[in-house]
Amino acid sequence: MKISLNWLKSYVPIQIGVNDLAEALTMTGLEVEAVYDRYDYLKTVVVGRVVSISAHPNSAKLQCCMVDIGKSLVPVVCGANNVYVNCLSALALPGTQLPDGAVIEASTIRGAVSEGMLCSEAELGLGSDRSGIMILPKDILASLATGQPLTSALNLSDTVLEIGLTPNRSDCLSFIGIAREVAAIQNTSLSYPEIKLPEGKNAIRQMTSVTILAPDHCPRYAARILAGATVGPSPHWLRDRLISVGIRPINNVVDITNFVMMETGQPLHAFDFDRLAGHRIVVRTAVSGESFTTLDHKSRTLTADMLMICDGEKPVAIAGVMGGFNSEIEPATQSILIESACFDPTSIRKTSKYFGLNTDASHRFERGVDPEGIVFALDRAAALMVDICGGVLIEGVIDERPVVQELKPIVFSAEATNRLLGTQIDSAVMDSMLQSIGFTVEPLNQDQRNVVPPSFRVDVSRPVDLVEEIARLCGYDRIPTTFPVISEGSAQSFLSQNSREQILQLMAGLGFSETITYSFVHPQSCKHLRLEPGDPRMRALRVLNPLSEDHGIMRTSLIPGILETVSRNISRQSKNLKLFEIGNIFVSNGQDVLPDEIEMLSGLWTGARHEVSWHTPDVACDFYDLKGVVEALLAALHIHDTRFFRNAVQLCPYLKPGIAADIQCGPQVVGHIGQVHSETLSSFNIKQQAYIFEIDIRKLFAMVPDVHQTLIIPRFPAVARDVTLILSKTIESSRIMEMVQEMHDPLMERIMLFDVFEGGHLPSDKKSLSFRLTYRSAAETLEDEAVNELHKSISDKLIQKFDAELP
Amino acid sequence: MILPAFLTAEHTTVEQQIEQILKQALSELQSASQTSQIQAFSVQYLGRKGLVTQYLRNISQLPAEQRPMAGKRANEIKYILEEALQKALQEIETRQAAEDVGIDVSLPGRAIFRGSSHPITRITRQISEIFTRMGFAVAEGPEVELDHYNFEALNIPKNHPARDMQDTFYVSEAIVLRTHTSPIQVRYMEKHAPPFKIIAPGKVYRCDSDITHTPMFHQVEGLVVGESISFGDLKGILTAFVHQMFDDQTSLRFRPSFFPFTEPSAEVDILCVMCRGKGCRVCKQTGWLEVLGSGMVHPAVFENVGYDTSRYSGFAFGMGVERIAMLKFGIDDIRKYYENDIRFLKQF
Ligand SMILES: [Zn+2]
Repeated sequence: MKISLNWLKSYVPIQIGVNDLAEALTMTGLEVEAVYDRYDYLKTVVVGRVVSISAHPNSAKLQCCMVDIGKSLVPVVCGANNVYVNCLSALALPGTQLPDGAVIEASTIRGAVSEGMLCSEAELGLGSDRSGIMILPKDILASLATGQPLTSALNLSDTVLEIGLTPNRSDCLSFIGIAREVAAIQNTSLSYPEIKLPEGKNAIRQMTSVTILAPDHCPRYAARILAGATVGPSPHWLRDRLISVGIRPINNVVDITNFVMMETGQPLHAFDFDRLAGHRIVVRTAVSGESFTTLDHKSRTLTADMLMICDGEKPVAIAGVMGGFNSEIEPATQSILIESACFDPTSIRKTSKYFGLNTDASHRFERGVDPEGIVFALDRAAALMVDICGGVLIEGVIDERPVVQELKPIVFSAEATNRLLGTQIDSAVMDSMLQSIGFTVEPLNQDQRNVVPPSFRVDVSRPVDLVEEIARLCGYDRIPTTFPVISEGSAQSFLSQNSREQILQLMAGLGFSETITYSFVHPQSCKHLRLEPGDPRMRALRVLNPLSEDHGIMRTSLIPGILETVSRNISRQSKNLKLFEIGNIFVSNGQDVLPDEIEMLSGLWTGARHEVSWHTPDVACDFYDLKGVVEALLAALHIHDTRFFRNAVQLCPYLKPGIAADIQCGPQVVGHIGQVHSETLSSFNIKQQAYIFEIDIRKLFAMVPDVHQTLIIPRFPAVARDVTLILSKTIESSRIMEMVQEMHDPLMERIMLFDVFEGGHLPSDKKSLSFRLTYRSAAETLEDEAVNELHKSISDKLIQKFDAELP
Repeated sequence: MILPAFLTAEHTTVEQQIEQILKQALSELQSASQTSQIQAFSVQYLGRKGLVTQYLRNISQLPAEQRPMAGKRANEIKYILEEALQKALQEIETRQAAEDVGIDVSLPGRAIFRGSSHPITRITRQISEIFTRMGFAVAEGPEVELDHYNFEALNIPKNHPARDMQDTFYVSEAIVLRTHTSPIQVRYMEKHAPPFKIIAPGKVYRCDSDITHTPMFHQVEGLVVGESISFGDLKGILTAFVHQMFDDQTSLRFRPSFFPFTEPSAEVDILCVMCRGKGCRVCKQTGWLEVLGSGMVHPAVFENVGYDTSRYSGFAFGMGVERIAMLKFGIDDIRKYYENDIRFLKQF
């Protein structure tokens, strides 16, 4: 909310500097977000004297003026016909930005040089006169020379505070509200505007009536009528006030309602009384499906729970939100019904949300207006209208109040307050603190008080609300700093957090850069992964109000995010990428229940195997590079029983068939690894091979052992023997290794594959695999002969089992 | 025994012969200037067929009374020669090294891919470590959350203006993407009795996107509940945190604010780490940076989880990880975190 200091001074004297004031307001909970000079935009507008006028060479409408601005003469082309030699006017120099957004530049206008612009009041935002350039009174130069800033010549100075109000402080949504806070800060008094109204018989009751059919939604409705008014532009002072806080002046009636709303916080509405059918007001909820055209000329369909202000026949305003086109104040309007009412915040909010209509009025009603301030605001507006619009105020006021909310006292304990704040404030001091901001305090006993908040503090209802007031008034900086006394027993972190942290560190150590991508992805991303309709990853949760279609669903896989990252980096010429991400995926169980959230790890390698350098050839990475990473990761986590199985295509349709595997740890499949399918790659516009894995790390967490047994380092030497088998290409190497391991020979320590060969002299359906078997005894040094015998027996079994040959 | 040429007739005794071999060997060694010469020498004297080796082998043919002395001396000589040989080799190496141009040590080493942790992970880790050192446990919870946990249980009823403070992504009427990690705290309170100290880190979502907002960001929130926990304790913990996160010269300012789930509520500003309070672009000339929201847990929140409000009190706080990372790393556009440009990531 914008607060003009000049305006604020009407209610409270400002005795401290503006920066101190801003700081003090911030420290009482009214955050001043910005402080600025209202007339900053006029700093390059100066007082100039027109010293000569000549005809424009190419235009009959324009004239060429020379303007004296003290240190120089400036040529200016001017189109106004009130310019004359020796007149004093306002010259906007190049660089000035006028309130309408136009920027003044030095230019040539139809062949004549112009280095500034002589402006009208309206152009400068200083008035409504746009008939000609602003003519300044001659005596203005008594104290100033030409070339002085216009702001000093006219004594224009105002500071605007931009205050960010929290939703609880509806009492501060007005100048009087802010003035109340300033008065409390300075310990000065507040002056309310004086209202003088001709009062007499209650004549208004003969002219109109207000019927409240929905008292739950409208606890109070007050009205006055002004007859014979003249609708027209507001006087300068009123327009200026509104402009100073960013409200556009409309006409005197509407401007007055806005002015009083800014002054008191009470939104008002003015109806053209003659256009109200039956000359009366009925407050009721809408008829469902009824349509209604608001002031902004939009037709809106109403629902049954919306509160409407109606006349004898039809709605004329959406209560507390926006008036109706059908009862709008028009130039010809003569009789005005002024509404000042109190509406249920929830009802107003629902309606305003429903229509997406957040108005100054709805903003205040949603937060709650002072039910006791309604008639004051109404009277203030009526008095101003009599002054400004003329006409006759009908005597009397309508004030329907079906529900009077009693102000219930709150039981307040000084001791409990001190305990919660960690302070030792004397209860008498607390009493006077509360009294200083308008609360009534009635002692119950030494410690307890009955406290009644002022009517404008609609946010205060609980003892803790009073604690807050005490803390605020005491000053947070004066509350002592202490440490909580709490037993430490409960603090323990969970295994999953340790394991996740370990995985993060390991992946970085293995050369991968961690990425974090948005949890929402494009709905097409499931299609890009080539998922079949029945795939669980097709069960994506939709976001109802995404920022864009790109963020339409919650991800069911980390892979789209990581591929998008690859695509973006490649387009920025980074082609060698090792990336990983840890994050949740979301598998929907229907839009109305919580989804399954599964924490996944994904890793991707694309481009070079090594950082390319003088000693390292540029070789592309392959499946086995990434598989090695997964193996290293699992081994480092002490998850040993790990196997890779050729993957069934339907599990990972985004992987290339034949170059895809399930990762199995113990009895469980924990993830998948493989080369990304070319169709998936092209969906992400990636033109190089990429290898990817995805692991459900919740499953890993469960397998990471708490403690693990250290193996004894053997004392006796090992003996190695090699065997090369020529066998069918269809036999996976792991089967041979597993078979050897399953023999469980106590002397066979390890089998390692050290060479794979295809082609050459081998038949096309054969390959040659070379294994190194390591033999060792824990009890003695093995004899060569014993090893040879054992090795032959193992080799023979392999040859037989796999129909292999020796080379 | 076949005697070498340098053993002349005057070297008649076995002792004389072996001493002569030693003398000859040492003088040859002295004149050797190449590694190859040393290697030849080594073969000639100490190899399998070398003179010393042969001599040792032949000792068995000597008269029994001479054998011990000759054997001992021969072994001594063998040792002397081996030592001398090592020394000569080292001298040659040292000399050659001095002359050698060596390798181009300025050539880059065999490069390895260097991995990195995302800046958000790094800062979250740093924040969590500070709090766990102060005895806080770390709690987690779902990112897609019931409206109840995200709002209602936190004293933010439907149709309350406080809902405007957080622009919410909805999945359905009753389900939202959590707008803060506070629902973790509610879930934790439902399962645990006080006293406790927890932090709740995680991703949160709000529909907002510009230079300082992304629709997804990260928070660390904290909750301390016990008997007689006070606002002073809140100040104590947060001051300790800020001093460890930034430095102990960083001043703090607690100022009144409003959150529906805490009362009294406080925004915590720190003295601008960029300009030290003089005023700059980062702090919008105020000299202060807003880094934490906090407050005493509102009794309505405790009532919702069934805590006895006459017995327990507590405080809660929360901070945006991106905001702190921006200050720590001098990042001015929050969207950089989620572009994942490898040139950005590698800097962490
Ligand atoms: Zn700064």
